[in-house]
Amino acid sequence: MDSDAPDLVCQLDNVQGMVDALTAVRWKRHQDAVIELSEHGIVLIVEDSNCLQAKVYLQRELFVRYEYGAQGRPRFGLSLGLFVDCLNTFSVPGHSSAIEIRYPGPDMQLLLKSVDSLDSGIYAEMRTRIPETISWDYNFEPAGSTPLTFTVKTAALKEAIDDLEWPGASIQITLQPAPPSVTFRGDGHGDLQIDFTYYANPDLLIAFHCDRHVSHRYKYKFLRATTSNIPGSVVRDNRGSKLTIGRGGLLKVQHLVSVARTSTAHPHIDSAGYQQPSRIAYIEFFVKPEEEDTADD
Amino acid sequence: MKFKAFLTENGVSLLEKRFLPALDKLGKICHLYLTRDHAFFLHNLLNGDGIQSVAQFRKEALFDDYRISSQNEDRIAFAVDLSLLHRALRSSVSICTEFGTGSGTGPTPNRLQIKLVKKLPANSTQPMPFLTFETKGFKSAVIQDVPISKPLSRSHLLELQTALDSAQDLPRTLVQAPDLNQLQSFVDRMKHVGDLLSVSIAKCGDLHVQISTTLITLGAEFRKLLVVGDQAEAPAEDRNVSAQTRSSRALLRGDAQSVQVSVKHFAKSLCYHLAKPDCAFYGIAPQGACLTVIFQFFIPGSRQMDKSISLHCRLPVLDPGSS
Repeated sequence: MDSDAPDLVCQLDNVQGMVDALTAVRWKRHQDAVIELSEHGIVLIVEDSNCLQAKVYLQRELFVRYEYGAQGRPRFGLSLGLFVDCLNTFSVPGHSSAIEIRYPGPDMQLLLKSVDSLDSGIYAEMRTRIPETISWDYNFEPAGSTPLTFTVKTAALKEAIDDLEWPGASIQITLQPAPPSVTFRGDGHGDLQIDFTYYANPDLLIAFHCDRHVSHRYKYKFLRATTSNIPGSVVRDNRGSKLTIGRGGLLKVQHLVSVARTSTAHPHIDSAGYQQPSRIAYIEFFVKPEEEDTADD
Repeated sequence: MKFKAFLTENGVSLLEKRFLPALDKLGKICHLYLTRDHAFFLHNLLNGDGIQSVAQFRKEALFDDYRISSQNEDRIAFAVDLSLLHRALRSSVSICTEFGTGSGTGPTPNRLQIKLVKKLPANSTQPMPFLTFETKGFKSAVIQDVPISKPLSRSHLLELQTALDSAQDLPRTLVQAPDLNQLQSFVDRMKHVGDLLSVSIAKCGDLHVQISTTLITLGAEFRKLLVVGDQAEAPAEDRNVSAQTRSSRALLRGDAQSVQVSVKHFAKSLCYHLAKPDCAFYGIAPQGACLTVIFQFFIPGSRQMDKSISLHCRLPVLDPGSS
């Protein structure tokens, strides 16, 4: 190989998992993403209107090979939609879909190629950009000494948020300790309130930590982006999503997406739905609240 | 002008299950061209743009008791809507199987007759041409009329025949296509990335397809495919280079040709896998005039080519500057 090693050469044995994880943060047709490389893995960041940010963490354990040769943490920008469409091309049904990802190419491109077969192969070169510095730092800090957080079945969360489309506009999320419950309330063309009560729906609301009443409003379109493109596999795997309210009402939504090979999708899952953490991509959304008027901290 | 024939059982299953669904994907309207010995389904032969497609059947492959006469050397051509034709055929088949006494027991009484007629449609004073399907069931007969265009005039018919003749020349080098289903699902995904597909075919049996835009280059290479026609050995030093280098070197040596076609056209032509061909070949016509795809059919249960059926299409080449 050439004398100066590339920043990153890595191999993934299942592209579809990466497609699923990245699709989860694709809420618009044209989105610019920033990719950050490190010895721990790859992080992809997308941002919208200073109000919504999403991060996909692809840890090095997801890759069958991960050779990191850079100083510092190289960052580059690319079009998320194009990246997903491109990766999707490598995932042809009935075909092993192992790929190699390499950065940078001779012209700072992101290089992809299939590594499975001798007599046929797919390759891609994506132009990258120098990223803009992200304009708003989504510095998530806990709202107090005890965390304000709850975990809800992803399918139920998605369904609730989909249902709130009808009142639309602005959605109020309220957590209260007694009785322990979470309320989603939409006021717009009409009102709709969805309650998750910890004692009544223990199978939906899996965990709940809250020591005081807290309530914030979020723009519906941003809230919707956090679940609208969750891949079917997450719903099928019956996972939970964790929501945390931080200082100033900043909402953090965390999902787990399986990146395991489809053929061996389940051997790691035991009866509790636990899967080896190494085959999971972490996805985080940060949603800024609307202008404060009802917050009580 | 007269045309009358009985569709054979084999002909019905060829058309209903395989060819009509495939041809319909390429374009709803086509010309049905009947001669003394052949029946052709022709797409886009008279107007220049779009994929040209020629499906040719020897009359025995579809019909028996085939009778045709016209003043144009017993040739008749007209335009027909393939989805209507398919619908009529499908429902005739269901009537046949419903009332039929089964096959393989001598001459079947429920035969499907197809003929050209002129009829006066409801609310009209002008008689219109139809292709009529007549199915005789156990107790009843069902007649279905598929509207068709007015038969082509002598001059148009000649034009069609000339276009057909010139659509028959073969590329010098043909490579056998990889698995069509896989290629189709690949191209369907590739469609999202760009519109213009460059296809290069090398005499050593390499097929290389690539989409290249300002933001992305995405391609696939299939190597060591079966070659029919002009062949060449690939030099050993080309073995360990990238697909792009390999195909540009082959182009420079004159061992490969490359054209640009619409990725939509390319994807559409792959819909012909619905006709269940046994293999397919890609080739570039002399002077890069078009990309030709030839589908071959074997005699059932053999590896021998069925010469009574032929299917090929020609994808127009796009000027890389124009889009």
